Amino acid sequence: MFWHNFKYSLKVLFKSKALIFWTFAFPILLGIFFNIAFSDIENSEKLDIIDIAIVKSDEFNKNIIFKEAFEGLSKGNDKLFDITYTNLNKAQKLLEDDKITGYLVFDDDINIVVSSSGINETILKYVVNEISSNETMINTLIKKDINNEIKKGNYNINYEKIYADAYKLVSKDTAKINNISNKNLSYTMIEYYTLIAMTCLYGGLLSMYIVNLKLANMNSVGKRTAISPIHRGKMLVSSLLASYVVQLTCLAILFIFTIFVLKVDYGNNLPLIMLLALVGSFAGLSLGVIVATLIKTNENAKTGILIAITMLGCFLSGMMGITMKYIVDTNVPLVNMINPASMITDGFYALYYYSTLDRFIFDIVSLLVFSFVIILISYFGLRRQRYDSI
Amino acid sequence: MTVFKAFLKVLLKYKGTIILYSMILIIFGAINMSTSDNNVNFEDSKPDVLIVNSDKGNKISDNLVKYISDNSNINNDLKGENEINDALFYRNINYVIYIPKGYGNDIMSGKNPEIDIKSTGDYQASLAEMILKRYIQMQNVYKMNESSEDEFIKLINNNLSKDVNIEVTSKLDTTKLFNASTYFSFASYSIMAVIIFIVCLVLSSFKEKNVNKRTIVSSMNYKKYNNGLLLASFGYSFILWVFFIILGIIMLGDIMFKSRGLVYMLNSFVFTFCCLTIALFISTLVTNKNAVNGIVNVVSLGSSFLCGAFVPAAWLPNSVLTFAHILPTYWYINSNDLLKTMEVIDFTSLQPIFINMLVVLGFSILFIILNNIVSKYKHNAI
Repeated sequence: MFWHNFKYSLKVLFKSKALIFWTFAFPILLGIFFNIAFSDIENSEKLDIIDIAIVKSDEFNKNIIFKEAFEGLSKGNDKLFDITYTNLNKAQKLLEDDKITGYLVFDDDINIVVSSSGINETILKYVVNEISSNETMINTLIKKDINNEIKKGNYNINYEKIYADAYKLVSKDTAKINNISNKNLSYTMIEYYTLIAMTCLYGGLLSMYIVNLKLANMNSVGKRTAISPIHRGKMLVSSLLASYVVQLTCLAILFIFTIFVLKVDYGNNLPLIMLLALVGSFAGLSLGVIVATLIKTNENAKTGILIAITMLGCFLSGMMGITMKYIVDTNVPLVNMINPASMITDGFYALYYYSTLDRFIFDIVSLLVFSFVIILISYFGLRRQRYDSI
Repeated sequence: MTVFKAFLKVLLKYKGTIILYSMILIIFGAINMSTSDNNVNFEDSKPDVLIVNSDKGNKISDNLVKYISDNSNINNDLKGENEINDALFYRNINYVIYIPKGYGNDIMSGKNPEIDIKSTGDYQASLAEMILKRYIQMQNVYKMNESSEDEFIKLINNNLSKDVNIEVTSKLDTTKLFNASTYFSFASYSIMAVIIFIVCLVLSSFKEKNVNKRTIVSSMNYKKYNNGLLLASFGYSFILWVFFIILGIIMLGDIMFKSRGLVYMLNSFVFTFCCLTIALFISTLVTNKNAVNGIVNVVSLGSSFLCGAFVPAAWLPNSVLTFAHILPTYWYINSNDLLKTMEVIDFTSLQPIFINMLVVLGFSILFIILNNIVSKYKHNAI
């Protein structure tokens, strides 16, 4: 009987078009959308070449330090600026048309003109400040060197050499900075992790559907099952096993799709990834069971409730804005501790970003505790359910 | 009137769904607007930096900390490496500077000690690195010439205190405009999803086989019947639009009452109308209530992701944007983006926006024509 029921449950599930759409097709479609929207986002956050203009004037030509500095910054592979040398009217026009970030005017002083405040504008201002402080440094060094020479009694000073030495000293990059950050810093990965979490929890739609078929108060199939002389527990377990199999099939497809087509990085530990997927799906399954058994309403409303719970969970774990997860994690950590979507997302995050497994194990254990508590509650809700008439 | 009343009756049956959907969308919209600030808007041009100072009490190290603090937003609430790593991953901080023990003394003794950093590698982090490098560079140049610590620090601070003149030409309040554009662009998803979802569900009740057959044999003129349905759907969409505008006024404030706000409203109205024609077309095409749910999500999410309702269009790959031209949402969002940076609002500057609106109207006409073709075909098939 166990396998008989298992087989037919599988058939029923695979033939339900709406269920198959939500659990198979929808996550893949959403994955494609994420890929479209986020594929370029991290690149566009990197520092790009900034377009600026410099108004040509005698003052600029005379200011060798600035002239050379800007020439240096606008050539080579890692150049910072694309510079247009032009007159004031054209520079104003370029700024108005949003073709440049800002322009520089050299008169007695140096003036930067920008259209609004922003990061490119700040960088431009910063670079100008830096060059001008280099200028101050060079002047200080030259003054000092000349004084030293005079003190030594050497009046035949080689000004050009002093200038060249000072210039070299100031423009040499001597800052020793050692980047020790983790290389796995791609935060858009969280989006795909929430997608997996959503699919795990959408598995609840499958288990809910199959449990509803066994409930006498839901439909006539349930009534017929209830009066048949079969052990209810056995039947439920075999049906749930079928829904679990369907759920894992769709997860496997989603994994293959995200790894090979969308190039999502889940870290390198394949067995642990699979473990997380298995446990996550189990949490989804138990969620479906509790909604099916404890909430007494029609099937559509149950579906609505389950989808609402899943979407809320995914929202809090960062699906609609990655910062959301961080905000919840740091301000109300309890919410994400009882949110299965967040536990799954966090598990993948731990595998991707952390070198130790503490956090991952904590997530797995939380998911298991969550699932067993829920299954236990459903079990007490479902047992001894008898109808004299219905 | 009979048709109109029947429409309202069915509509009210779905009030729970409408409220639920609208609420979720409102919450998402509101939170998206408030959290996306740090992602998209470059207003705030100070990077978020964390300094782990293992050399506290040393004048040279403290002066470095002071300089970095003056030029960035310092976040020192985080405790432990794990919290720092999390904050870095979620871009809550952009840059971490670890000042090693004995740093100040090493500097004074002529060494050039290495500084560990952690960086997100984005714009803000690059800026933070420029700030840090500038300081270290200056330190390295001056230390060769000064022997006293105080003299040395004074020299550095004197140099750093000079600031260049900067003139800002634009008088636009960019934060407000940015919020307005984000709100209206995000609303494209809400408007589209709710209109298609509800109109399709309600109309599918009218198109149920037996109901439809009874309507056809009734004495009511089919034109009057169709007009009734159209009017009712239009009324519903109009009320929804008003609702979103009121919500916009509450969230965005006085900007909505200026000429720019009126253009935002007009633009969203044209878009709402277009969504209605899409909804009518889909309702003719599909009458299965279960399928409606799937189609709504695919159509609304798809066009939102492709056209830049969630992620700003400027950040989407060009190929995607080129493709997005065939979707009405693209033109609607393009107008919102144009409005965001427009210096003056007058007839000439608004021309590209009017053209966008015309394109959206063109799409509407296309969907009306398609709708007629399909319904004629389906009518003949009965």
